[in-house]
Amino acid sequence: MKDIVVRADSLHKTFTLSRRQRKLEKTGETKKVAVDGLSFSACRGEIYGLLGPNGAGKTTTLRMLSTLIKPDAGDASVMGHSVVKESGKVRDCVGFMTSELKLEKFFTPDYLFQFFGAMHGMSKDKIAERKRDLFTRFGVNAFAGVKVGDLSTGMLQKVSLVISIVHDPDVVIFDEPTNGLDVLTAKVVTDFLMELRAMGKSVLLSTHIFSLAEKLCDRVGVIIDGKMAAEGTLEELCGGFSLEDRFFSIYRDLKGDVL
Amino acid sequence: MKLLALIKKEFYRFFRDPRLIVTMLLPGILIFALYSILGNAIYSEEEEARAYRIYLQGESSLVTVLEEVIKESGDTVEFLPLEDEESAKAEIEEGEAAAILVFPEGFDETLLMGVFGETKPAVRIVYDPSDEASMTFYSIASATLQEIGSRFEIAPQSVRSEPELGREVMTTILPFIIVCFVFSACMSVTLESVAGEKERGTLATVLVTSARRSDVAIGKIVPLACVSMLGALSSFLGIALSMPKLMGMSLGFLGTYSVWSYILLLPLLLCIVPLIVAVIATVSTLSRSVKEASAYTGVLMILVMVVSIITSFVPSFGDWTVVVPVLNAVVYMQRILQGGLPVWQSLVSVGVNLLYTAVLVVIITKMLSSERIMFGK
Ligand SMILES: Nc1ncnc2c1ncn2[C@@H]1O[C@H](COP(=O)(O)OP(=O)(O)OP(=O)(O)O)[C@@H](O)[C@H]1O
Ligand SMILES: [Mg+2]
Repeated sequence: MKDIVVRADSLHKTFTLSRRQRKLEKTGETKKVAVDGLSFSACRGEIYGLLGPNGAGKTTTLRMLSTLIKPDAGDASVMGHSVVKESGKVRDCVGFMTSELKLEKFFTPDYLFQFFGAMHGMSKDKIAERKRDLFTRFGVNAFAGVKVGDLSTGMLQKVSLVISIVHDPDVVIFDEPTNGLDVLTAKVVTDFLMELRAMGKSVLLSTHIFSLAEKLCDRVGVIIDGKMAAEGTLEELCGGFSLEDRFFSIYRDLKGDVL
Repeated sequence: MKLLALIKKEFYRFFRDPRLIVTMLLPGILIFALYSILGNAIYSEEEEARAYRIYLQGESSLVTVLEEVIKESGDTVEFLPLEDEESAKAEIEEGEAAAILVFPEGFDETLLMGVFGETKPAVRIVYDPSDEASMTFYSIASATLQEIGSRFEIAPQSVRSEPELGREVMTTILPFIIVCFVFSACMSVTLESVAGEKERGTLATVLVTSARRSDVAIGKIVPLACVSMLGALSSFLGIALSMPKLMGMSLGFLGTYSVWSYILLLPLLLCIVPLIVAVIATVSTLSRSVKEASAYTGVLMILVMVVSIITSFVPSFGDWTVVVPVLNAVVYMQRILQGGLPVWQSLVSVGVNLLYTAVLVVIITKMLSSERIMFGK
């Protein structure tokens, strides 16, 4: 067995809904269980995909793993550090990518790379070295001096990716990597993830796009209603069927014939 | 090191963006332009009919000329014999009489025969520069008399000594105006930088790094306070420079304060800047959007303005005011401008305001760590 870099141990997260949210979701319930006792582990050098329908709790799980929010119960460890007790250490070994995290439009990629390097406590020399390496590898040099606000979506995506791994994290967590991107930009992202795997990094991503999971992931966990419904390598999980068919049968087993 | 990078980023953001610099410095320039125009307008404006009461001593045919000029402009004038100059002055101060007009003995004869020797005869006009009617009469009279001849001089005399007048204006409204401008300077940068960054999701990007929350909070407050001080200073200069025009007075009295007054005044003025920045930053961190934050901040601004205008009407507060943020600075700035030197109260006020700022920084730090506030939907 390869060494485990991310281990989630019966994570729980319940949100208290505000009156506004209740109205928005048309529910009288004041609580929403987003993640309900989720456990899984991801190993070094693999791409692990959390697969699930809308509202399954994927984003919530990834946010807990990247310490943006705290679990109500359970714990998770990243590179051996507890997300509950050692959030600072976890942040230094994780790169978190999501469309919610934005870069200030006013600055150039050059400046932001330096700034976020400093935010992770890196020395100037280390940052410069890392910049040379990453900017060349991912083709950012050409627009390193252009303000983020003036970049095309594809360039911006590249810049965000590069900046999220400025501190050379062992684990990269990525929420909905290709959501809302055109095929070209999406390819930038998937190539980047495969490149990361080739570099020996571990990638944890969430998606509801089956083809993406089939193309990228070494192992998948299927989340339904905040619980792990099935987990394994693609072959183990699918057993000859397509991932999509397999998912429907898992969903049917769990929720009855609602489709 | 992380704190330094955060502070540097904030400054860089500000000083590389011409738009932000303009929004910061524009109020001062606008105030200067506006007040200068306003000041000119006030003194050239046609007023409704006035009835001037003038105490007169000595005789001259010029009195009838003056009477006619005033009547032509639609006003009336009543000349009374001057009996007791002191009580007449008191009436002028109270606004009941407009001026005292004193012609020397045999004025008309002297004019007709020409002047022998160096000294020209002088017409003395006693008036109150802080009263509009009195001021207007003075300008009409001196203009009319000057038009008639250059064989005599006009000796204007204010019922108030110049420093007193200046002080009165300065002490009642200046601290209030300062607080207003400090507030609006702080508001424009802080809302944009804190609420704006939260709304746009760029603050969250900093929060996923291992930077300490306290560093993030201080890294906002310190540079924003510095930048706001610049803005406040610009507005302050705008007022100071347009004040003479607006009030029709000179700023000469500023020289009548001791160095110590200024040494106390400056920290009092400066210590409210970080405090107000911290207050607005707290509100901004709590709010979901810039719009929401500016609504709350608007309410706060009114509150602060009301508190500081109250001090203009209530003449003396007890020393308990040292513990009330912002109000303490207003009250003791006022006292210094009145000529007092409340040393310990000023120093304690500065300390208290800085303490409140520190408490707010702690609160912001707590809020930055709260997922409900930062990442709630
Ligand atoms: N901050 C919050 N406050 C209240 N409810 C929340 C909050 N965040 C998420 N939820 C709710 O928790 C549930 C799980 O949300 P989550 O975003 O984790 O789902 P997801 O799997 O990422 O779905 P999607 O594919 O739509 O992104 C949803 O029902 C959502 O409405
Ligand atoms: Mg999601």
